[in-house]
Amino acid sequence: MTQPNLKSKPRRFRFSKRRIRNSIITLVIIAILSVIVYAQNQSLIHSSFTTGYLLMTCIVFLAAFNLRKKITFLPAIGSAKFWMQLHIYVGLATFAIFGFHIAWHVPNGAFELLLAGLYLTVALSGVYGLYATRIFPAKLTGLNEEPIFERIPFFQQRLAVQARKLVLQTCEATDVLANFYSNRLAAFFERPRSLAYLVRPTGRVRRQLITEIEDLDRFLAEDQRQVSRELTQLVKQRDDLDYHYALQGRLKVWLFIHIGLTYSLLIVAVLHMILAHAFDGGLQ
Amino acid sequence: MSDQEVAALQKIEPFASMTPDAFSKAIPLHGVLQNDCRLLDLKKGDIIVREGDYGSSAFLILEGEALVSLQSLPAEVLGRDTGRKKGWLAAVSQLWRNSTGVETRNYDANRSEVSKIQDVGSREDETGTHIFLHDIPAVIPVGKSVALGAGEIFGEISALTRTPRSATVVANAPTRLLEIRWQGFRELMKRHEALRTHVENLYRENSLRAHLREIPVLKGLSHDTIEKLSELTIFESFGDFQWNRKFTSTKKKDILDRILSEPTIAQQGEYVDGLILIRNGFARLSREHGDGHQTIAYLGKGETFGLRELVHNWQTGEQRPWLLSLRAVGYVDILRIPTLAFESLVLPNIPKPKLPAPLPSLDPKQRQKHQRRAERQESMDKGLLEFLVEKRFINGTQTMMIDLDRCTRCDDCVRACASTHDNNPRFKRQGDTYDHWMVTNACMHCLDPVCMIGCPTGAIARDQESGSVTINDKTCIGCATCSNSCPYNNIQMVEINDDSGLPIVDIDTGKPINKATKCDLCVDQLGGPACQRACPHDALVRIDLTAPDDITIWSKR
Repeated sequence: MTQPNLKSKPRRFRFSKRRIRNSIITLVIIAILSVIVYAQNQSLIHSSFTTGYLLMTCIVFLAAFNLRKKITFLPAIGSAKFWMQLHIYVGLATFAIFGFHIAWHVPNGAFELLLAGLYLTVALSGVYGLYATRIFPAKLTGLNEEPIFERIPFFQQRLAVQARKLVLQTCEATDVLANFYSNRLAAFFERPRSLAYLVRPTGRVRRQLITEIEDLDRFLAEDQRQVSRELTQLVKQRDDLDYHYALQGRLKVWLFIHIGLTYSLLIVAVLHMILAHAFDGGLQ
Repeated sequence: MSDQEVAALQKIEPFASMTPDAFSKAIPLHGVLQNDCRLLDLKKGDIIVREGDYGSSAFLILEGEALVSLQSLPAEVLGRDTGRKKGWLAAVSQLWRNSTGVETRNYDANRSEVSKIQDVGSREDETGTHIFLHDIPAVIPVGKSVALGAGEIFGEISALTRTPRSATVVANAPTRLLEIRWQGFRELMKRHEALRTHVENLYRENSLRAHLREIPVLKGLSHDTIEKLSELTIFESFGDFQWNRKFTSTKKKDILDRILSEPTIAQQGEYVDGLILIRNGFARLSREHGDGHQTIAYLGKGETFGLRELVHNWQTGEQRPWLLSLRAVGYVDILRIPTLAFESLVLPNIPKPKLPAPLPSLDPKQRQKHQRRAERQESMDKGLLEFLVEKRFINGTQTMMIDLDRCTRCDDCVRACASTHDNNPRFKRQGDTYDHWMVTNACMHCLDPVCMIGCPTGAIARDQESGSVTINDKTCIGCATCSNSCPYNNIQMVEINDDSGLPIVDIDTGKPINKATKCDLCVDQLGGPACQRACPHDALVRIDLTAPDDITIWSKR
C-alpha cells in the first residue's frame, strides 16, 4: 500500500516555553532600545524621531496581519500562527516604544492627545483581544453545542418552534404549560436576548426559568411532566446558543473595533508624522 | 447471474475441479458464483483496472485477452488529477479571479487541458460506465505489456489485501470476464486448496519477503532466514472488509458490545502462539478492566504484537500468556510467525541489547522494584484514545483536528479553504468532539481509502508522492460511489453552475450535473493546506492518526 508521505509532523513544544522565550526576546529588545534612546538623549540627538519611526513601522507591521489573513496561499510569508506570535509581542513592545516616544509624559496638544488616545485604545483593545481569545474558547467548549455563529439564529428559531409544538401537545389536557409558555417562555424563545446579556452573559434567566418550570410539576400529570422536562432541555439548549452568540459575537465585534480603529490610527499617525517633519526645524 | 450461467461456469476451471461438498451449506459454491460474481462483456480497449486504484474484486478471463501494461500510463489517461502546483502569479491572482458564484465551473476555459485526454473515451452499458483507449498501441507500446488469456486470474492480491492495483489492465479484444468479489474469492480460496496455494504463493513471491524485511525486529536477518520465515508465516484475516457499510449502525451499539463484537486476534490470558504483524488495517489493544475492556493503544500497518511475551518466555523458560487482547477494528490482515519459528530463527539472531526488557515479575515485591526503574512513556489521554478508535479516526493520515480550547471560532480556516478553492470551502468546521478536541468533517486522506473502491472513471485517486486522495473534477461523472462509501461523510456531492450561476445540465437527460468534492489538502497550492496555515491560534492541525505518536505530542502542548 502506498504510504502517505506526510509533509509536516507536529513538533514537540509547549505553549508555556514559547511564551517564556518570546517574552524574554521582547524584553531584551526593549532593553536594547532603552539603551539606544538613553544614548541618543545623552548625545543631544532627538530620540523621538527614532522611536516615532520605529513605532510607525511597528504599527504598519501590526496592521499588515489583517492583510496576511487574506493571502492564505503564499508559503513564503509564513503561517498565521507565526504572524500571531509576532503580532502579540511586537504589539506589547509598542507600549514601551510609545512610552519612549512620549518620554513617559502625557502629550499636551489636542492632536497629540487624540493620537495617543487612539493608540492606547487600539493597543488596549489588543490586550483585551488576547485575553478574550485565550479565555472565551474554553468557556464555549464547556457547552454541549458547537454551532457556527451565522447559523445560531436558525437554531434559535428551530428551538422556538419545537417549544411551541411541545406546549400545544398539552393544551387539551391542561392550560398550565400553555399559560406559562405565553407568560414566560415565549419571550425567552422567540426574542433575542437583551444587550445587557450580550455584554455580560449570565445563567440567571436560565436558572430562574428552570426553577419555575420545575415548580409547575405539582400541577401536572405524569405525561405533562415529561413535556415540562423536555421544555427544560430546550431552555438549556437555547441558553447555550445564546451564550455562544454572546461570546462569539463579542469576539467578532472586538475584532471589528480593533481593526477599524487601527485604520484611524494609521491615518492620524501619518498626519502626525507629516506635521512633525513640517515643524521640526524650530526644534533643531 | 442466472442458473444457466452458473451451471456453465461450473464446467470450466477452476470451478470444475472444485468439489461442491467442500463448501458449507450456508455458502455453497453455487451461491458464491451466483451472488459474489458477475459477468462483464468488454470491448477492445476497455480499461479493466487502473494502476493505483483500490479494488474489491478479482477477475477471471473467460474469453478473449487482457493486456497488462508494464509501464505506468499517463495520469490523464488514467483519469487522474495531474495536481500541478500553481505558480506565484496564479496563486496571487486567486484574490481577484475566484468566482463569485457557488461551485462555478468553466470547462470552456480548460478546453486545452481536456483535449489532452483524447486518448480515452467513455461508453455506458447495463454494467456501468466504461472508459476505453481509442488506440491501445499508442498508449501501451508493443513490448511494454503482458497478455493474459482465458483461464487466467488477475487482481486477486489487490482485492484480498486492500492494496492499490499494481498495473493497468486493458481488454485487448472483445473479452468476457468473471468479476469475483473479495468475499466470494476468499470463500473459494478457503474451499479450494489449489486456488489458496496459488494466491499464497503469489503473495509470498511478490510481497511477503519485502514486508518481513520492513519489520524493525527482523531487520538485519540474513536472506536465508527471511526465506525460511516466509515459508512458515501464516496469513490470516479478521473482520469485515466492507466495515464502512456497517459503520453507522455499529456506532450506535453499546461500547462493551462493540468491543466484544470485534473479532479477536489474540485473547488476553491465552497461550502466545506467535509474533503477530499487522499487514493491513487496524487492531485495538485492550486490557480487561472491571466488566469491560479498556483500550490501551491501537496498532496499524507494519506494527507487531507479542514481542515482549515471546522474548520473555524464550529467555526465562516461563509460559506467560498474552498480556493484552488484540481485536480487529473494521478489518485486519495479519501475518503470524509461529512461536517455534520465531524462537529458532529470529531470537538467537538478535543482539541481546536490542531485545525488549523482560516482563515485570509476578512477585509483588519484585514488581514494585521494576516499576520504579521503568521509565514512564508518554501516552495519549485514555479517553481521547478510546474516542479516536471508536469513531475509526485512526484511519486518517491527514485528519483535521481542532483544539476547541484555543479555537476562537473565527472561521479563518474555512475562509482560507474557500479562497483556495474558487470560493467554495471543502470542509465544515463541525464534527465529532471529545473533551476539547474536534475532528472536523474534512477528508482525512485515509490509510484505508474505502472511497476509492469502485470509481468507474478513476477520478478519485491517491497521489503517489504526497499520499493525498484527490478527485479529478474533469473526469468525475457524479455517480456518488465515493461519497456513499465514505464512512465519515466527508465527500459532498454538489450541483455545478456556469459563470452566470445557472446549473450545468446533462445534454441527454436535462438533469443538473453533480460532482464529488472534498478536501484535497490544497494539492495545487504552493503552501500546502491553507486551513492549517490560516489558523492564528495554533488550534487547527492536519495530523496523522494512523499511529498515536503525533497526536500524543500535539495534545500535550
